[in-house]
Amino acid sequence: MKFNSTKIILSLVAILTSSLLLTLNSCAPTKDIAAKSGVLLWSENCQRCHNTPSPSAFSAESWETIGMHMQTRALLTTEEKDKIVNFLKSSK
Amino acid sequence: MKKNKKISIVNLVICCLFTFNQLLAQNNEHLIADSVTNDRINTLEKNVNYQKSGDDHILIVGLATFGFVNSRSKNSLNGNTTNIKSNSIGDPDHFEFSPMLLWRHGNKFLMEFEPSFSDNGLGVNWADASYFIIPNLTIKAGYFGLPYGTYSKRLAAGWINKLATDPMGVADFPTTDYGVELSGGLPLGSMKINYDVALSNGLQLMPDGSLISGNLQDNNRNKTVTARFGWLPLSTSSLELGASTMFGKVGTTGNSDENVKGNMYAYDLNYINTFNPFLINIKSQYNIMDISQASFISPIDSISQYSFSNHSTAGFVQFSIRPTGIKSLHDIELAARYTNYKTPINSTWGSNQQTVTVGLNYWLSWRAVAKVSYEIYKGNSTSSIPLNSFTGISNTNTFYIQFAIQL
Repeated sequence: MKFNSTKIILSLVAILTSSLLLTLNSCAPTKDIAAKSGVLLWSENCQRCHNTPSPSAFSAESWETIGMHMQTRALLTTEEKDKIVNFLKSSK
Repeated sequence: MKKNKKISIVNLVICCLFTFNQLLAQNNEHLIADSVTNDRINTLEKNVNYQKSGDDHILIVGLATFGFVNSRSKNSLNGNTTNIKSNSIGDPDHFEFSPMLLWRHGNKFLMEFEPSFSDNGLGVNWADASYFIIPNLTIKAGYFGLPYGTYSKRLAAGWINKLATDPMGVADFPTTDYGVELSGGLPLGSMKINYDVALSNGLQLMPDGSLISGNLQDNNRNKTVTARFGWLPLSTSSLELGASTMFGKVGTTGNSDENVKGNMYAYDLNYINTFNPFLINIKSQYNIMDISQASFISPIDSISQYSFSNHSTAGFVQFSIRPTGIKSLHDIELAARYTNYKTPINSTWGSNQQTVTVGLNYWLSWRAVAKVSYEIYKGNSTSSIPLNSFTGISNTNTFYIQFAIQL
């Protein structure tokens, strides 16, 4: 049976993508990590690249948009992003 | 006695009538009050509805970097020694004005567009659209920064970079391209991991063996895979270790170099922690670039061919310290960086370059910084002598004053 390299690569991509999708929902944080507050996540994660932003810097709606932008940059988990954005919106 | 009884009954009736009247009046007052409250609530609801945001939100942010540069160079090239002094307002290598448009549709779609005005004219840093498929999985398509190391994607902005210059070879490496990308972050017990995988048109081999990227039209049918895996082993997310790879054909279909491939690797580290009263930050990245053997047209006669081992490395280590716990000094930050960049020996662009950069920053706010940096550069040419390339040593000392802001 003859396989060409394109078929092998496409098969590998399909297997990896399926594995990735299955993995995505099986990873879980410990109780301590899951209980972290938005303010703690804000202080831990933003400073990995830049200074921690002031909550008053943007409107609540803008923080939603910036949260999505930062999720693609810093690769935050969705839960982290949601908690940080909620903290920034509520602390204005 | 009978008369008194009559008077009591009359009084009782009057009292009852009075009480009834009072109750009626109070009830009317309540009705009036309720009606006023209802009107006010209706008005407020109407106002809230007017102010209520829709699914779409457009935000313009951006960054600006501006400065002054003064340099003194001593070059010994091909046996000739020259001394050059120069200064410029608006440091040509680092001037940038880049507004960024973020357009969100609900919480699933995001469009990012960043035009940029710099010494190279008007360009585009990125233009892409993201779809947040499920938690921790995002797909992005368009023109974007490839996940090769972290410097270009996360740390290069003037208001983030702690020194006035970028690390050679790391920042210059072409990592913006047209393609699609899957990315996300995942919790893993008390640790975290993140992944970023992109499929893009890929790098293209130039006639001198160097590479360019960001071409809308691919030069071959092969696509380039770029992937980075990040690991945050500490529960505080204070340490991130990353490994990246980029591989794919770089040669042009139909040309003699059509089977030339590029295999590249990058390793990065980011550590940030407070050791009271100091905030310590260490950042590092090391790139290894290998392009398979190819023959190139000689620049001397445009007929004969030459070849060389197309291997480059670039890396930096940066350390910064900020006394965040000392009130009178908490806006000050000291930073230092060592960079090494080696390009292929016996090519027409071979060199071994190092820089040592030190800087003092004053943070005007969390997103505005005034920097003073001093950089010592030493470059030693390893280019091909038979190809009449420049050979020699170059030393440059440069002083920078820079202001950077994110808005």
